[in-house]
Amino acid sequence: MSMLLNPRRLDDVVILDLSGRITMGEGTLVLRDRIRKLLAAGDQKFLLNLADVDYIDSSGLGELVSSFTTVRNQGGQLKLLNLTRRVQDLLQITKLLTVFEVFNNEAAALKTMT
Amino acid sequence: MAAKRRRSFELTIPSRIEQMEAVHALIEEAVKEYKLNNEMAHWIELSVSESMINAIQHGNKADPSKQATLRISSSGDAIEIIVEDEGCGFTLDKVADPTDKANLLKPSGRGILIIRSFMDEVDLSQREGGGCRLRMVKRLSGLDGDRPR
Repeated sequence: MSMLLNPRRLDDVVILDLSGRITMGEGTLVLRDRIRKLLAAGDQKFLLNLADVDYIDSSGLGELVSSFTTVRNQGGQLKLLNLTRRVQDLLQITKLLTVFEVFNNEAAALKTMT
Repeated sequence: MAAKRRRSFELTIPSRIEQMEAVHALIEEAVKEYKLNNEMAHWIELSVSESMINAIQHGNKADPSKQATLRISSSGDAIEIIVEDEGCGFTLDKVADPTDKANLLKPSGRGILIIRSFMDEVDLSQREGGGCRLRMVKRLSGLDGDRPR
């Protein structure tokens, strides 16, 4: 199953509900294009909900990092929500937990993005 | 007495990322045959996929006239995976540490780290006649052995 991406908006925060597999190719391109389009439209606050992401490879991790730096370089914020244990393990191994702000609760995450 | 070897799997593909579908299908077949649990199957799939992408992109420079070969076998106690390419994109000890502060925000370079964190043995050698051979072994026993370290 490839990646599905469902955006929703709460005030000025765009929550992207991702599901499936974020892998080299289509999965990473979908995420990249959507974030760049939202940035171009003026959005600056992004919360990526990874609750239903069951597989992510090094290209997918790379895309999360690229999205993070692109958003940050434009003065915005990108944070992660609801990591599965596998994604948590990968972020731990790669020390990307030191890069991303990660939340297990959507309301708590939103409070930090005001 | 040596453990009895089970059915093994082999696939040779041209160096195109689109061919990774066949790689994932073969891995699925192998993990079913070896009756691996979901967690072990997930990390085996990720490690094999990362190594085949490395072979295609870095070893063979995505040249479709060059081939990448995958072999998966099991002794019952361990899974052995061999990935061969026709180039030689890197040596393991020269791969930059992606967890170094200077590399942390780079978009690539994490594949070998992921493989090493899960596999019990990883070694890279030159093939006779050119190319590289990456050999990985995952032992199937041990505490918490089905997750990376």
